Amino acid sequence: MWRNNIVKPYMFMKKFLLSLLVVALCVPASAGLRQKQANKDTENFRYEIECGGNAIQGTYLVKVWTYSKKASVAENQCRKNAVHGVIFKGYGGGQGCVSQRPMVNTPGAETQFKEYFDSFFADGGEFQKYASIIGGTTESVKVGREYKVGCTVSVRKDDLRKALEAAGIVRGLNSGF
Amino acid sequence: MKRYFLTLALALVALIASAQIKKPELMVIPSDVWCISNGYYTEVENLGTTVKVPNYKQALQENMGLKLAIAKLNDLMAERQFPLQSLEQTVKNLEQRRMEDNLTTSKAGNELAESPLDEVARTAKCDIILELSWEVKDFGPKHSISYILEARDAYTAKSIGAASGTGAQSFSADVDVLLEEAIVANMDNFVNRLMDHFQEMQTIGREISLDIKVFADNAAGVDLETEFDGEELVDIINNWLQVNTVQGRFSMPYASENIANFTQVRIPVYDERGRAIDANGFAKSLAKYLKKEPYNIPSKVLVKGLGRAVIILGEK
Repeated sequence: MWRNNIVKPYMFMKKFLLSLLVVALCVPASAGLRQKQANKDTENFRYEIECGGNAIQGTYLVKVWTYSKKASVAENQCRKNAVHGVIFKGYGGGQGCVSQRPMVNTPGAETQFKEYFDSFFADGGEFQKYASIIGGTTESVKVGREYKVGCTVSVRKDDLRKALEAAGIVRGLNSGF
Repeated sequence: MKRYFLTLALALVALIASAQIKKPELMVIPSDVWCISNGYYTEVENLGTTVKVPNYKQALQENMGLKLAIAKLNDLMAERQFPLQSLEQTVKNLEQRRMEDNLTTSKAGNELAESPLDEVARTAKCDIILELSWEVKDFGPKHSISYILEARDAYTAKSIGAASGTGAQSFSADVDVLLEEAIVANMDNFVNRLMDHFQEMQTIGREISLDIKVFADNAAGVDLETEFDGEELVDIINNWLQVNTVQGRFSMPYASENIANFTQVRIPVYDERGRAIDANGFAKSLAKYLKKEPYNIPSKVLVKGLGRAVIILGEK
């Protein structure tokens, strides 16, 4: 009798701690999975980029729309998508905005320089140097089972182009002379 | 000894490389339409009609916006290691040359029928002219700016590419600020087009046009159908062009006994010594070839800007 009274709370505690452990392990794992999915979406160009207004010299101002089941993941991915979009996608103009073609427009450059871009776009990678989110511009819309998050990002395109020129991925205006 | 040869070889490689890396010269010029609509022109009588000729000097002296635009473009191009030639300095040099030409009118006066743009391009020896124009548009209290920057090959006057657009409407921004914004926003697209042109030029050479004419009743007694070893002169010129153009690229849209027009003639950008070649230099090489044995044909070479030359056969 007295033994049952001791074992029951002990078992309950054990089960509780075990569940807590499983939850603790699953939360980062699912966050990791979502981040992985977000990176995959970036690679597959599953984001939208448009002109965000007239920027100061040396920068582009772009509005990027990112999709994720978690709004915070999408928000984090905005900077990466903005840089990715400026490099590989370009964007259209209109309403006082000038359209820009992608910095890298050689077909297959993405696979040719895969190693460089894998490290460049890795989480915490070099891409961070070239983009910053303009404060107070983030907006979020629930679309079906996921969020569509829009941020206005300033991309330091002159510095980015110089980095790509130094890596031999794009040609400079004076190359060949 | 081995080191000596190695140094010599490296110096030679460096010399060849330096001959290849000459950059094309660029210069910004306000477009004719901008100059005329802003009143910077002079009227000239030409064959009974009055033509409006842009006055670059007046525009530079009186329009602050133009100076600002040129300075901004220069800044952006210098950032890409492509500084522009100064229009202001070129206009000064041109005035100096005109004064000298006036002193030697009999030699040069009547031969050079060039537009001010051709004159500026030739004086500056620039390869590409960047023609700039803008217009302020008012929409009630708001105003915006329409902007065009067009690159033209100074040799052929053909358009290389342009960047244009109308900026966002603004209540408060100053015209100069709007102009600066337009230049900055359009620059990347413009540079991309320039780059495409440079790549093409490096691959298939520079384009010029060449006209061959014959002095009537000339002392040498030749025309383009005169035969040398059974070959007509026009075919001899064709063969020379085949050898001396890049990849044998040229076309001859018209030929008769007195005239032959060669267009889309692709000449090398630089000669074997690394000096830039223009239509004049290329035409002179052909004239020299025809002056030698067995042809012995004297000729006169006339310059029409950087990209067009006329050789008149039969007399000097």
